[in-house]
Amino acid sequence: MSSERYSFSLTTFSPSGKLVQIEYALSAVAAGAPSVGIKASNGVVLATEKKHKSILYDEHSIFKMEPITDHIGMIYSGMGPDYRILVKRARKLAQKYYLMYNEPISTSQLVQKVAYIMQEYTQSGGVRPFGVSLLVAGWDSDRPHLFQCDPSGAYFAWKATALGRNHTNGKSFLEKRYSEELELEDAIHTAILTLKEGFEGQMTADNIEIAICNAQGFKRLTPAEVKDYLANVN
Amino acid sequence: MALLPDLPKGGFVFENFQRNEFLKAKGFRAPKATKTGTTIVGCLVKDGVILGADTRATSGSVIADKYSDKIHYMAKNIYCCGAGTAADTLYVTRMVSSNLELHRLNTNRVVPVICALRMLKQHLFRYQGYVSAALVLAGVDEDGAHLYSVTPHGSSDKLPFTTMGSGSLAAMAVFETRWKPNMTIEEGKKLVRDSVAAGIFNDLGSGNNIDMCIITRDGVDYMRPYEEANLKGQRLNSYVFDKGATPILTVHTIPLEVEEVMVRHMDETMDTSA
Amino acid sequence: MSIMNYNGGVVIAMKGKDCVAIATDTRLGVRSLTLTTDFPKVFQMGPTLFLGLPGLATDTMTVYQRLRFRLNMYELRENKRVRPQVFTSMVSNLLYERRFGPYFVEPVVAGLDKDGTPYIASMDLIGSYQEPEDICVAGTCSEQAYGMAEALWEKDMDADKLFEAISQSLMNACDRDAISGQGAIVHIVEKNKITTKTLKMRMD
Repeated sequence: MSSERYSFSLTTFSPSGKLVQIEYALSAVAAGAPSVGIKASNGVVLATEKKHKSILYDEHSIFKMEPITDHIGMIYSGMGPDYRILVKRARKLAQKYYLMYNEPISTSQLVQKVAYIMQEYTQSGGVRPFGVSLLVAGWDSDRPHLFQCDPSGAYFAWKATALGRNHTNGKSFLEKRYSEELELEDAIHTAILTLKEGFEGQMTADNIEIAICNAQGFKRLTPAEVKDYLANVN
Repeated sequence: MALLPDLPKGGFVFENFQRNEFLKAKGFRAPKATKTGTTIVGCLVKDGVILGADTRATSGSVIADKYSDKIHYMAKNIYCCGAGTAADTLYVTRMVSSNLELHRLNTNRVVPVICALRMLKQHLFRYQGYVSAALVLAGVDEDGAHLYSVTPHGSSDKLPFTTMGSGSLAAMAVFETRWKPNMTIEEGKKLVRDSVAAGIFNDLGSGNNIDMCIITRDGVDYMRPYEEANLKGQRLNSYVFDKGATPILTVHTIPLEVEEVMVRHMDETMDTSA
Repeated sequence: MSIMNYNGGVVIAMKGKDCVAIATDTRLGVRSLTLTTDFPKVFQMGPTLFLGLPGLATDTMTVYQRLRFRLNMYELRENKRVRPQVFTSMVSNLLYERRFGPYFVEPVVAGLDKDGTPYIASMDLIGSYQEPEDICVAGTCSEQAYGMAEALWEKDMDADKLFEAISQSLMNACDRDAISGQGAIVHIVEKNKITTKTLKMRMD
């Protein structure tokens, strides 16, 4: 009790009006593994790098792409443990919404609620901001959606974007490659190429993860499927 | 922690309880909630499990719903029949179904039927029988097909065949005489149909159609209705009143205008300056 | 005596072809004493959405206000109109939250979906709902109204026929109930207009 009275938020304004903790959190994101999201006319693709430091690592037991509902999924750049907290909260929020309204939550509503949680962690005592930015892909109202959620609680709707290491190069690559008529298959192709920009070493089905979200819902691609797409790219 | 919560918090609200007790003490009886009445049955067969239910819901002696849905979805591989207070059966299955989905996402596997059973009975036990739901839970998982019955107080049985609700005696009589192990699905369907029909025709709390749900490893076959046990008679005369039969004092018409038309043009070039 | 018979009142909803109707009486009384004949139990919750709340009058008003609050918050947050099915779920949730200390109302929802599909639903006082294809009835003379509505309702009635069916059901049901009636309001919801009619009724 008494310790609470003297503990205060780590995120205190600096004299110049900045919240440096949030900027540090964004640095943690920018140093994280790259991830890419592209919205096509008939779906969304998410792709990310999943490199391992040792060959002893079991690659296909832990996933970075996580489904939230049947029609929404996410990926992150930044700190994995922080991400899993948000995944769990997002799933709970989605279920709570479904119980209340008997209708699946829309992607924009889910993103708003998750952003809300991230904002709370910039204004509450005894906590630090999340060290992750999220890419949320969803399908509702008969069209695809792609959102980004930052540690500050800011969120953006994108046609295509990149996060994490090399994200500026990734974004300018996407700006050149993106077109409105893009179909999902082409978008997967483009997403792989974007990841390839600045990818160190050989890209394999074991060190990237891809997920798609279309009218059929959110789906993580199997290593075999990823392998096929990679074969087409090379 | 929430700085600005927007959905109501979970859990029951008791703010009206004292007032309602006061009214009761004054002699104002609380109204009756809708009951399912109900014949619900479950039966294991060779390759899976079959659930059956009638579709009548009653409020006192009035039929509140002729086509009520008593076979509730729990998960892709699990369904659950409910008897008792209609709202309780609906909400207890919905809540557990939601928790099963979270469990599935968090564990990344097909949820075992026993998980659903534990969640249901722990909730029911916590409420000491006041959440009045009697359930027949069935599903297929890694270990095969399972069938359980759960009482409102939270005790449960694992059985090869079971019945619940006010028509359970009639339905059980059919099972007791005709059930045998390792029936085919077709034999099982016939037995479940006859069992629910026994409830429909011998118990006044059960009636109308027969719903059936067959769960096997290959998937779920949900038949609603499986059979219309009682067809409504064909009406010979029309009782439609002529226009103007009802005396009207005032008429007020509000035209509804198109609120919003949104056309999205997707041809502008992307701003790449930033 | 049941608390549901303290103030009196009845609500009926019916589905027609591309239209729905919802009707309410306008009496408010305390047992056999009539206080006012200007107390409709049906509220407009959206351009094509209506909610009937027969039961204990104090709860009619409280539940309406609570739902109005939740609905306004929903529409502001989501920047869209509520679907009738979603609204039913909201009402049901509000009632089931108070499972062990209920509001004494039996709500009836009637409306058109965005694409103009008719929708009606009714529920008990703790939120168990049904979405029938024909009629919904609730209130003190619900048994009489069930009888009338079951006899008069037919599939695919147009707005005029639907109005006659629902009005006659309500009026004749109220004629056999001392604590309902003394005026009635009928709303007929069609895709392009809502017609609200007040009926000439017995005032005894």
